[in-house]
Amino acid sequence: MASQTVEEGESDDGPIAQRAQEAIRNPGDAYQFLFYVVTAFFLVTTLFPFYWLLVLALTPGDRMTDIGLLPNGFNPASFVEMFQRLPFHVYMFNSIVIALTTTVIVLLVASFAGYAFGRLQFRGKTALLLVLLAISYFPPAAFIIPLFQFFTGNVEILTLPAVGTIESPNWFNTPGAMVTPFSALFLPLSIFILTTFYSQIPDGLEDAARVEGATRIGALFRVIIPLSAPGVATAGVLTFIGVYNEFFISFLMTDGQAQNWAPIVWGVVNYQGQYQAFYNLMAAASIVGVLPVVILVVMAQERIVSGLTAGALKE
Amino acid sequence: MATSDEHGRGRVRSAAVAPANWTERLSEQGFAYVLLVPTLLLVSTMALWPLVSTFEMSLRADALFSAEYVGEFVAFENYAELLTGQRNAILGSPFLDFSQPFQSALTVTLIYVAIAVTLETVIGFGQALVLDQSFRGRRWVRVAILIPWAVPIAIQGLIFWLFFQPGIGVGTDVMQSLGVFSANPLINTTDTLIIVIVADVWKTSAFMALLILAGLQSVDRSLYDVAKVAGASKSQQFRYITFPLVLPALLVALLFRTIQSMRVYGIIETTGGCSTLPSLTCMVVSTFRSGRYATSAAVAFITAGIVALVALVYIVKFADLEVGA
Repeated sequence: MASQTVEEGESDDGPIAQRAQEAIRNPGDAYQFLFYVVTAFFLVTTLFPFYWLLVLALTPGDRMTDIGLLPNGFNPASFVEMFQRLPFHVYMFNSIVIALTTTVIVLLVASFAGYAFGRLQFRGKTALLLVLLAISYFPPAAFIIPLFQFFTGNVEILTLPAVGTIESPNWFNTPGAMVTPFSALFLPLSIFILTTFYSQIPDGLEDAARVEGATRIGALFRVIIPLSAPGVATAGVLTFIGVYNEFFISFLMTDGQAQNWAPIVWGVVNYQGQYQAFYNLMAAASIVGVLPVVILVVMAQERIVSGLTAGALKE
Repeated sequence: MATSDEHGRGRVRSAAVAPANWTERLSEQGFAYVLLVPTLLLVSTMALWPLVSTFEMSLRADALFSAEYVGEFVAFENYAELLTGQRNAILGSPFLDFSQPFQSALTVTLIYVAIAVTLETVIGFGQALVLDQSFRGRRWVRVAILIPWAVPIAIQGLIFWLFFQPGIGVGTDVMQSLGVFSANPLINTTDTLIIVIVADVWKTSAFMALLILAGLQSVDRSLYDVAKVAGASKSQQFRYITFPLVLPALLVALLFRTIQSMRVYGIIETTGGCSTLPSLTCMVVSTFRSGRYATSAAVAFITAGIVALVALVYIVKFADLEVGA
């Protein structure tokens, strides 16, 4: 009865005041409302740039002024033309090949190391882990000058009296000059992830395989790695995305020609340098260039989330 | 045909079995070292040797007109001249000059890191609080928040370069009507700094959010029930339960983001360019390109030194927390 009179008293106020009254009486609803507003804000801020890229890409090249929230016309042909002005597909192909090769090498090397760190006892274990951690902290700028000399064939590795000097390989403009440094720089994260996963496999399972006659290496490949499949997938996805996204070494280890294994970084830089006015093509190229990682994020988001948090919090 | 194929396969098999059998005779410690050989090989040639070599080069003089990369030993002269501004003429922009903080590389980098990481923390915390709720479509909200994190730096740069292109991008119109930006923000130093910070916050808040979310989810939910019974408001619950328990995860996230944003280069190169907004890594590249390898190495090592210092501060702070808890 009392509550009814209160409600009647309120009906004189405007709708906003009523809402405020309601919020004070029932804070839960207010928080719920706030929650939707905040969620919508985050969705708009993260996704709006992609929508706007689509608007820009669909606008015909001769109507590039005063673009609002809708395209000035409809020209999907820019998604074809972006490959004709510059061989953007070749840059993407190069990036994907470099990222996949690095991922395979990292997974193999990190599996051996993860087994040693996760399942074996040996002297210098903690020290080695700390060295790996420290390496992942250093900026790539602190490595680049010697690496550049190395991969342009200008470092003498050793001098043998009979054979002469052995020089480092000239891999500038080849995938090797990117894959090898990436393998080292992305290795620590994968080692940390795989060490965690491998250490959680019960000893009994490995012992059973050994009793059945499997070698140590056989047990690693037939028991430990298959049982840690989620961990291997996590390390693989993070390495692939990391390499595909890398800027610094990708930028400096080729001369920027698509036929010389220049990755996607150079596709972007060349577009900005040579085709300044083709904004619609650049927008189309951005959308296409992002697709591989967007697909990966949609398909493997659980792995990415667990890998980022486990990898970082472990360290 | 079949037999030769089988023969070949047999040979491959025995080639794989031989080393596997050899490892059987090793002790546990020996086996561990064997497994670590590829890691040590990669890390020592691609990271440790370059690091030592960079430091060694930074102690020598530039050798512009010689066949050698670097000249004679000069001890810490490169460092001294960089920090006192005697190298500014060859760098294009000053290295360290407090009177023009937006033009000198060291101050630009530090300002960028401080503002970007602060904003990422706030926004990341907000995103984490949203993702911590259970609601329909949570999975897709998480995907949406995560997508910018996966965008390649070069494309991130291209997006924001387009977005703030005068006459094309919506961003410039909005900022100019607010009276913040000049006519062409991509050749203006402070405007470019704002653009680069916005771009970085857009891309990396998700990383912060995920680490903070992991911290949030480790909080025991029954604590909130106790707080509710005790009559604590939502903001009190946040201050006295959520924040202190999330702090360790937050510190780790801060450490990672600070270290990573100290390297800022690609996003500058693909938006306003290093001549508009010089960062430390910009200077490594420009001196490297002009053949001043010793100066380049010194700048790179100063960057690494600051990173090490920052890491140390966080680790000490983190150790304090562990001891306190």
